Amino acid sequence: MVEQLLAQGFIIGVLATSIRLTAPMLFAALGEMFAERAGVLNLGVEGIMLMGAYFAFWASFTSESPWLGLVAGMAIGGLMGLGMAFISVNLRANQGISGIGIYLLGWGLSSLFFRLTFGAISGVAGFQPVNIPILSAIPVLGPVLFQHNVVVYIALLLVPLSYVVLFKTTFGLSLRAVGENPEAADTMGIQVYLIQYVCVILGGILAGLAGAFLTVGQMNMFVDNITAGRGFIAIALVYFGRWSPYGILAGSFLFSIVDALQMWMQVIGFGVPYEVLVMQPYILTVLVLALAVGRSGGPAALSKPYVRGGT
Amino acid sequence: MNRKMLGFALALLVPLSALAACGPTPVPTAAPVVVTKEVPVVVTATPAPTKPAKVFKVALILPSTMDDLAWSQSMYQGVKKVKEEMGPAMEFTVSENLYKIVDAGAAIRDYAGKGYDLVIAHGSQYQTVVRDIAREFPKTSFAYGTGFQTGPNIFAYDPQAQQGGYMLGMLAAGMTKSGKVGIVGPVKGGDAIKYNEGFKQGVAAINPKVIVLETYTGSFAEFVKAKEMAATHMDAGADVLTGTAQQSVSITKAAAERKGVYMLCSDMDQSKLAPDTVLASQIYQWDEVVRRMITLNKSGILGGERLVLDFSGGKLQLVYNPKLEGNIPKDLKDKVEKAKQDIISGKLEIKLP
Repeated sequence: MVEQLLAQGFIIGVLATSIRLTAPMLFAALGEMFAERAGVLNLGVEGIMLMGAYFAFWASFTSESPWLGLVAGMAIGGLMGLGMAFISVNLRANQGISGIGIYLLGWGLSSLFFRLTFGAISGVAGFQPVNIPILSAIPVLGPVLFQHNVVVYIALLLVPLSYVVLFKTTFGLSLRAVGENPEAADTMGIQVYLIQYVCVILGGILAGLAGAFLTVGQMNMFVDNITAGRGFIAIALVYFGRWSPYGILAGSFLFSIVDALQMWMQVIGFGVPYEVLVMQPYILTVLVLALAVGRSGGPAALSKPYVRGGT
Repeated sequence: MNRKMLGFALALLVPLSALAACGPTPVPTAAPVVVTKEVPVVVTATPAPTKPAKVFKVALILPSTMDDLAWSQSMYQGVKKVKEEMGPAMEFTVSENLYKIVDAGAAIRDYAGKGYDLVIAHGSQYQTVVRDIAREFPKTSFAYGTGFQTGPNIFAYDPQAQQGGYMLGMLAAGMTKSGKVGIVGPVKGGDAIKYNEGFKQGVAAINPKVIVLETYTGSFAEFVKAKEMAATHMDAGADVLTGTAQQSVSITKAAAERKGVYMLCSDMDQSKLAPDTVLASQIYQWDEVVRRMITLNKSGILGGERLVLDFSGGKLQLVYNPKLEGNIPKDLKDKVEKAKQDIISGKLEIKLP
């Protein structure tokens, strides 16, 4: 059994699977990070992902282009982000409750639209894995890193990009200021509401992209409730990653690798009850979140609606 | 209304509208036919008013959707078939996505309270909630399954999934080239465990050297994980896959994306989704079960019967995909046919642990 665990094929399999599993969570969690850094907690990620998943599937089914699917998923995600921004910024509604509302709306509408337009489960071609020349031939590293579809690479590239935007641009500085102390930011001439709108919409676009990845980059089909809780895990990963892109990357990769490992351990028949294996990624998440308590928290103004000129 | 209140109202409205979207989907019943007759000028005798025939009302509670290509859809189609036969004499309502027992319980109670004659809760997990509610509505028939414990007004239906599992296991062992076949299961329980047990015994009956890889996702509807798990099986060398529950469409899709891999289905025939991959399927004929429950109810028997679905009654069937049927060696097909006959005659009994 130990030899099997150390076999090259096993290790490659676990790592390659985990990178595929990481991609949708990266999109969703990075998007949520921007929203939360600007002080808006969007609990509706799951619902936005479902809408993105449906519209991406529908668009790539009708146009036979997975790229148009991605665009459609991002468009509907941005639209739902706009809705969330209006509710939380202008109406100052309780962000927890309205997020759950967005989730249920997204779930209900996506399954309703699916039934109205398709009525039966069907498939699309989706994005095919690309073997990057030369690099994909490297032993071990090649199959792990360089034989995925293009959307996986977009997800991975988004991590350094988000880091640059968040920490090296004026926009990043403004949005962090808004999330920490909106009054002070306002005094400095930063347009708090505009920044919050942009960040929540950006979060929606990325959540839509996460859903689109599921239907046109991984499953190549749409089924009711396809996300199965991934949107909520993404929110947990933002806490897990301490609101930083690299932290989120580490968290989502750790979560995925444990998930991939338990699948492979089941396949080789490790002799442990499957229930124990299936819950490993979740136990890990709870453990890390519990251990992280006490360290510096998130944005100070998170989920507190900003009222200009007093409270 | 100030802005805060408006926001709160909006936040409340949103989930409500969503609930409406995924709530009970009423199935359109045939509109009553209105016969217009020429009214006679002189009425000599008033015809005795005909008593309208009582409409039999059936409610169906599904854990997933009625188009899941698996467990829920198979039952939905069964009830629909009976509805088409009975026409306006039957009313049929479906509530979907009630996987959670508490939600299902609320729907079951609601239907019973509205005077439905038969409430079918389609899942083994509903056993206790059905038992509790059935006591309060002694005039209503309830049904659930997979299960065998009945009550005065409770029917239990019990598909012998291991029978088809055995035959499909034989096919898997005969068709594999790599000597490895994979089961991507939902949870170790109910229908799935019976099917998987039969499948493993069927594999062993043809070739005990064939290795069966057996994994579980821990859920009935973890579609993404089921597909990744199926890919893992194939990476580990499996070239024939099987699995049950609504997430099985993911296994079919995963198998269809690789060359030289066969998929064996249960509950529903998924060959339309993957015509070059699905080799054979075990299918459930629920319409006969539904018909039987309605007949019993009408004759005053509201429950107490365990309805078995098996091959001898024809309520379980094995169907081949006509496009791929020719790939199966005649010798293997004969063996499967022989096993089917032995199962029907009772000579071969698949024991469950």
